[in-house]
Amino acid sequence: MVSENAEDYLACIYDLTREDEPVKTTAIAAKLDLTPASVTEMMQKLAAEGYLNYEKYKGVTLTSKGRTVAERIKRRHRLLERFLVDIVGMEKEQGHLEAMKLEHNVSDETVEVINQMLNYPTVCPDGDPIPCCESPATPDPAFSMPLSDMSDGDQGKITHLACEDSAKIKRLISMGFVPGRRIKVEERIPLGGPILVQMEEMKVALSRDYASKVMVRKCD
Amino acid sequence: MKVVLAGNLNVGKSALFSRITGIGVISANYPGTTVQFESASVTHKGQVIEVFDLPGTYSLSGVTEDERVATRLLAEKDPDCVIAVLDATRLEQGLVLVLQLIELGYRVIVALNFMDQARKRFNLDVKRLEDILKVPVVPTVALSGEGVGRLMDIVVSESVRRSYYVTRYDSHIEAFLEEMAAGKVETGSGFPIRGASIKLLEGNPYFTKQFSPSVKRLADEYRKEFREQHFEDVEVHIARDRYGEAGKIASEVVDWLPKKEMTTKDRISEFTLRPRTGIPLLIGVLLGIFLSVVIIGGELETLITGAYNALVGDAFDQLAALIGGTAGQAIASGINLSIQAILAIVIPYILVFYLILAVLEDSGYLPRAVMLLDGLMVRLGLHGQAVIPMVVGTGCNVPAILATRTLESKRERLILSTIIVMAVPCSAQTVIIIGTVGQHSGILWAGLIYLTLLGLALVLGRVLHKVLKEEPPSLVIEIPELSMPSVRNVLLKTWLRVKDFFVIAFPLLLVGSLVLELLMEYNILNALVDPLSFLTVWLLGLPPVIIVALVFGVLRKEMALQILFVIFSLSAGADLGTVLTSEQLFVFALVMATYMPCIGVFAALTKEFGLKEAVAVSLASITLAFLLGGAAHFLLSL
Repeated sequence: MVSENAEDYLACIYDLTREDEPVKTTAIAAKLDLTPASVTEMMQKLAAEGYLNYEKYKGVTLTSKGRTVAERIKRRHRLLERFLVDIVGMEKEQGHLEAMKLEHNVSDETVEVINQMLNYPTVCPDGDPIPCCESPATPDPAFSMPLSDMSDGDQGKITHLACEDSAKIKRLISMGFVPGRRIKVEERIPLGGPILVQMEEMKVALSRDYASKVMVRKCD
Repeated sequence: MKVVLAGNLNVGKSALFSRITGIGVISANYPGTTVQFESASVTHKGQVIEVFDLPGTYSLSGVTEDERVATRLLAEKDPDCVIAVLDATRLEQGLVLVLQLIELGYRVIVALNFMDQARKRFNLDVKRLEDILKVPVVPTVALSGEGVGRLMDIVVSESVRRSYYVTRYDSHIEAFLEEMAAGKVETGSGFPIRGASIKLLEGNPYFTKQFSPSVKRLADEYRKEFREQHFEDVEVHIARDRYGEAGKIASEVVDWLPKKEMTTKDRISEFTLRPRTGIPLLIGVLLGIFLSVVIIGGELETLITGAYNALVGDAFDQLAALIGGTAGQAIASGINLSIQAILAIVIPYILVFYLILAVLEDSGYLPRAVMLLDGLMVRLGLHGQAVIPMVVGTGCNVPAILATRTLESKRERLILSTIIVMAVPCSAQTVIIIGTVGQHSGILWAGLIYLTLLGLALVLGRVLHKVLKEEPPSLVIEIPELSMPSVRNVLLKTWLRVKDFFVIAFPLLLVGSLVLELLMEYNILNALVDPLSFLTVWLLGLPPVIIVALVFGVLRKEMALQILFVIFSLSAGADLGTVLTSEQLFVFALVMATYMPCIGVFAALTKEFGLKEAVAVSLASITLAFLLGGAAHFLLSL
């Protein structure tokens, strides 16, 4: 297990790495606001644990082990930032500071749920890419599934609309198929007929084609 | 002053309109029924108010034709205030539209319709809703008239102001709106910049065209950026925020009563919806319509002709004697036969059909039928969305063609309209089929014609489906609650639909039969129809004079049957079998069922698709009718 401190160092080196060029200790010290001496000490320690390649006078590069840790932490950081800015409604700066604190303690499961909730964003609020996790915690298929795959009596919340056709999306939203709303499958009409659903106080029949575009998270 | 009624579908908007104005509007529980912009003037407390009824719409985002029409008409009418009609039992859905109306700067009054139903389920804090939205809110029950007076009092008081309620969006969207406001962009149409900007982002064409190219570019860039960052289209996010807002408001004003057990109405509703019970019921309903028209219509006809003959006595013989000579005979029998034809041949059947249709529409049953039939229709190569226009088409093809507006592409609308014109028998064609084949040869032979038409629809559907490369649009339809149709509404609607047969068809028929009688009395008619006998006699095996019926059938379909009685000098109720054989009646009915659209339908086609297309569809259907008739003649004479 890596300490929070070490995670911050690795993430910082990850940020500063450009095209596999070694990162200078002074640059790290400047970014983390520390003295070069204490940085050098930490570098040696991390190199000894196999996270870094440390070359005197040239600087450090991440080993694949170090890179995995760094990407994981960056991914958490940027996803949390997105969550805090988009959903919680924080300002970017505040979201960044909050994410700095949370990124070390949040569980992998929570991060993946946030990822799905945000509909798999690829960039953080500042536009930096969100790295993919090394071993993608495969999303639980029960998390979000097409409405067309649900059974009679199933209930859930709409998470997103998986559709590229703008006219169809608009039609769906104008009929009230909007992320966040509760939905219940009442009946699947035989012969490939439509699916009858209940949303709030309204009943709607929609074809399976449309239903396959409405992604729902099952819940009671 | 001008007032516009706006609201979702199935909220009783047209019923409220007819309450306010006292004028009937044909409304029904499916999209596209308020196809024209209905308007009427009404005087309330000395103020003359023009009231407009907007087509039902769920939103003003401008996706479907209905939504575009609603947006445009709303803007063009520039109303003094907008009455937003909501179904109180489905508050959230209605509030989404209200939020958009407020956003666009309209002076809004909210009419909470179906309040009687809502009271059974929850307590609704009307005062609180007024405080939140900052607009007047009036609970109404359109069917009983509750609240309508108060609503109009508020309209004439001119106290309605623009609400300053603001719907909040995602911070990125707000940033765009701020930028737009800061840039002091002009739309040149008087809409608040915030509202117009949101519509610009949503991509409503009516609003996008009001902005300068540079602003449009900015919005496009912004949409792209939003999508890249959020992995969600901005219009989805806007809708998400709007529903969130509406849901929040609804939860603040609604206090649910303890859930009751399923009521009888709920049970009936379930019965009609669940396929296990719903499909047998549907088959029963379809058979029921057919049998009622045949049996009840037949009974009515006997009754009416009996009463008419007893009433008239020998009045027409006296009239003939009064005028004297051959002309007297012709005029008297022309008038007599025309009246009989309207009263006895058309009215009983069409009346029964429209009464049933009105009950089915107002009860909310039709969308259920559509839902249950959709899978089957798609399998047979027809589009799911096509069901509604086709059902409407069994009444009259004109509204059916207008109802195709719910389809997205013009090409598809034209294809569907063609199928409707050729293969869906309208009520007048049903009258012909039943009045000829049904009465003479029995229900089975009439059924055979319907089967032929069904087959034709399927073949046409298949062929056109193949020709059509695009993906068929599929069904999304609201299933409204079942409701007891009001007698007043059903009768009003039936009257509006049947009225044409008196005011338009009767004068036409009268003039037509007078001319025909004279031509026959002076023996000119046969000379006129002879040149076309290759069509009638050779191809169809019918007497040459039948061409007259076909010509009149273009004016109005049912006149073809009425004219048959005129040209063969039969009184209504007489057996056509005395002048035509069973085979001839069958061929005649088949030709009439597929034959060229009547003038009304031709006009509707021209209006919707253009003259060229209308002519093409007409020519195609004439050709088809003669080919089918010829084939039937050939097969039957084997």
